[in-house]
Amino acid sequence: MKKLLSLVLALAMVLSMAVVTTASAAEITDLRSYETTSREMETFNIHSSQLANDLNVLVNCIDGLLTNDAKGALIGNAAKEWSTPDGGKTWTFVLNDGMTWVDKDGNVKADVVAEDWLTGLEWVLNFAKNASSNTSMPMEMIAGAAEYYAYTKQLTEEQGEEAAKALTIADKFAEMVKVTAPDAKTITYECVDALTYFPSVATYNCLYPLSAKLIEEVGVDGYQGITWENLWYSGAYTITSYIHQNEKVLTANPNYWNADGVKRFNTVTIKMVEGGDVAYQLFQTGELDHVSLTQANLSTIYNSTSNEFHGNLVEARPTKYSYQIHLVYDKNNEDGTKDTNWNTAVANKNFRLAWYYGLDLTDYLARTNAINPQACQNYCYTGNAVAVNSQGVDYTQLVRDELGLQYDAEKYNRTDADKAAQYKAAAIEELTAKGVTFPVEIDYYIKGDSQVALDSAQTLKQIFSDCLGDDFVTLNILTYVSSQTNEVRKPQLASIYINGWGADFADPINFLGQETYGEDNAYYSMNYSMCNNATDEDLIATYKEFTRLTNEAKAITDDNDARYAAFAKAEAYFLQNALAIPCNYEVAWELTCINPYSKVYSAYGIQTYRYVNWETNDQIYTTDEVAALKAAYEAN
Amino acid sequence: MARYIFKRLLQSAVTILLVVTVVFLLLRLMPTDYYFTDEENIKLTDQQKLDRLQGAGLLDPPLTQLVRFYKQLFTEFDLGTSRRIQANQPVTKLIGDKAGVSMRLGLIALGISLVIGVVVGVLQARNKDGIIDHAGTAYTVFVNAVPSLVTYSLILAFGARVLGLPSMYSVRKPGPSAILPIICLSVGSIAGYMLWTRRYMVDELNKDYIRLAKLKGLSTSSVMYRHVLKNAFVPLAQYLPYSILLTVGGSLLVERFFSVPGLGPLLTDAIGRYDTNVVQGLVLLYATLGIIGVFLGDILMTLIDPRIRLTSKGGTR
Repeated sequence: MKKLLSLVLALAMVLSMAVVTTASAAEITDLRSYETTSREMETFNIHSSQLANDLNVLVNCIDGLLTNDAKGALIGNAAKEWSTPDGGKTWTFVLNDGMTWVDKDGNVKADVVAEDWLTGLEWVLNFAKNASSNTSMPMEMIAGAAEYYAYTKQLTEEQGEEAAKALTIADKFAEMVKVTAPDAKTITYECVDALTYFPSVATYNCLYPLSAKLIEEVGVDGYQGITWENLWYSGAYTITSYIHQNEKVLTANPNYWNADGVKRFNTVTIKMVEGGDVAYQLFQTGELDHVSLTQANLSTIYNSTSNEFHGNLVEARPTKYSYQIHLVYDKNNEDGTKDTNWNTAVANKNFRLAWYYGLDLTDYLARTNAINPQACQNYCYTGNAVAVNSQGVDYTQLVRDELGLQYDAEKYNRTDADKAAQYKAAAIEELTAKGVTFPVEIDYYIKGDSQVALDSAQTLKQIFSDCLGDDFVTLNILTYVSSQTNEVRKPQLASIYINGWGADFADPINFLGQETYGEDNAYYSMNYSMCNNATDEDLIATYKEFTRLTNEAKAITDDNDARYAAFAKAEAYFLQNALAIPCNYEVAWELTCINPYSKVYSAYGIQTYRYVNWETNDQIYTTDEVAALKAAYEAN
Repeated sequence: MARYIFKRLLQSAVTILLVVTVVFLLLRLMPTDYYFTDEENIKLTDQQKLDRLQGAGLLDPPLTQLVRFYKQLFTEFDLGTSRRIQANQPVTKLIGDKAGVSMRLGLIALGISLVIGVVVGVLQARNKDGIIDHAGTAYTVFVNAVPSLVTYSLILAFGARVLGLPSMYSVRKPGPSAILPIICLSVGSIAGYMLWTRRYMVDELNKDYIRLAKLKGLSTSSVMYRHVLKNAFVPLAQYLPYSILLTVGGSLLVERFFSVPGLGPLLTDAIGRYDTNVVQGLVLLYATLGIIGVFLGDILMTLIDPRIRLTSKGGTR
């Protein structure tokens, strides 16, 4: 019997191995990917770019200090090791040997040395060179960076651009900014405070290297307008062809320092397509190796068992964005007067909690993922996988533990009709006494030419009607023409926004810091919720308490577990008071020849699109194959 | 004639300057908030935004900016650099690179349209109310009634899935990959040339001099091609130089649909991204081409039909 069992088990293991082995038996050597034309690159200057469109490509061309693996963990890239001797105030990175800068054809131009990171940072911080792009993180984190930026700006104003452009790391930078290169292989950053998450910033383009010899070759103006043809590369690929709005070809760098350490494609061709439907057409004719599906294409494939791709549907991995319903606490009417009815209502905790417990967003989630809407559930403010404690517990799990709220694959778990009814009744009673008239009008703005946004807004309107009742609130769908910022946000016309926030580095402060009260760098407080303008004392007290809890957590720099636990308490407080309402994550569907669980996965930063160590199959993966790959990934 | 040409050229130059100046000033009336993307709005502080606007010279008075623009244009033929389409690249290079692609495809499509459109139009007129005429009319109605994107999608689906042609234009393999874009560029203008050739020819066929020619015993072919077509072609010829020059501008829809890296979508992209230098460069280009095209059309008409005079005692045409 034992022998039989062993035989069966061995057979099962061989078969399960075979599934994975078969899937990766014939790998793709020349990847064909795509991007929509509206997301064309705007610059090849990685230091000035703030767009994912550029960085998704450039992150393959230049190696930063660190990167992420398929699990999202920080791993070395240009740096082979990194450490802090003083709990996060000073960080030292040691570079790998044999790294070189090459031109687009792979000809060696110079060695990559530690000073290149100083030159890169000088460029970012120099007002005349980089026009304030990507300055915020180094200015907030690196000692002397903000002062150096101010110095270059003043110099530009007083002596003109040329004087500031002439600055190098040997000038004021060396004296002012606390970054040093004690030898050719070592870089040391001194932070303004103990920042345990600083290594995650080392994946970001604000800390990317730049060779002073390249600047010598092309000049400052030349690097500002650098093209793919005269850029120097140190990454896994060089750009060997670029035709604006048509295609770009990345070719494996023949002199890549880590050629034996990572798996690369021979070439990656990125085609620019007009939209999702054209991409699907190209996939059907075998001209692409993956495609994200539009709602219409997904429905067609899913609902027809005879469709050639019915057995190939794959649920993509979540993006890094965490979407929230942001409430506005200082809303204006179109004539510029205060919308007192809304402002009074939204300042009331019971009113907000009626939403928090009342809204079942399942139908709205289905707008992102029609097949498996609950995969998009989001009960937290911070995005998934941004931070993990020493026990390997994701930070958002800590928040959900605080909330006593867990995800359920089958149903939307946050809704509690009884609680919602109680809060609604209390809100009506309290607010009627304050002169609020019901139903309270919610002004929700979408882009006027977007049918997708309109369909989603109508779904949301129906949810509000079904869950909260037309006697309580009414959602008005309004439109703007081209810029939400200028047409809606600045005149403060909206009652709510639904926005996604993605982290730049691995710490909850990157999320919670956007919502604090009375702090200039709290982006959502300053630009969306306008909570600093609120007049309701209870609301202000709630915000102040949340801010106190957040800053208390921020101050913990010697114990990450304690830090995350404290942030989780602050975030739970924020959510229990429904200061914003978590809405959804993005989990779409795709057809692919790429193992999604082999790709770099990062919940923050810019590393996701590095084309290294990707496992592929020259046939389209089936749903079952990807399920097996996912199981293997999770088991590891 | 020389005086007429000189006067028209002068008028054209003034018109172009007026168009460019008006567009330049209108762009400066837009709020500078549009200079930033939503992402930049997130990441830049108000002071940094102000610094950027100052650095780009957008805070100077509009007339100062206009003088600077014309000075650069006339002294260095410099239209400035792109800010968002291809950051810091000269606008002249950006436009020049793309214009060549659009013009190549456009000229081939125009040639095909002209030949097929005129030939079928002649056949329709010659066989008025016959099968060819009805088929031609049905084609014209179909092309005009069905939205272009639907027609292109049908062509793409048939061409790519049945004939195995590339779905996307490739600069590296322009031959086969240009077939579907050229067909899409041609379908509409073939219908246009068919429609107008047929109409003008039917008009001419009813005139007395044609009846006289027939009575004199001239063959049908001789009447059709030596008299009818020659006269019917005059109004079409007027727009020929204009059409040829405007091939540079490309087609927004076709180029977007097949990812042709031409000029077609550039103007809308540049407006959408508030890339003012690119918008100004394109407006200058299109205004110049349009005005020269009309001017050349007038000259061409006088060459084809000697009865037409651009100057007379009463003044110019």
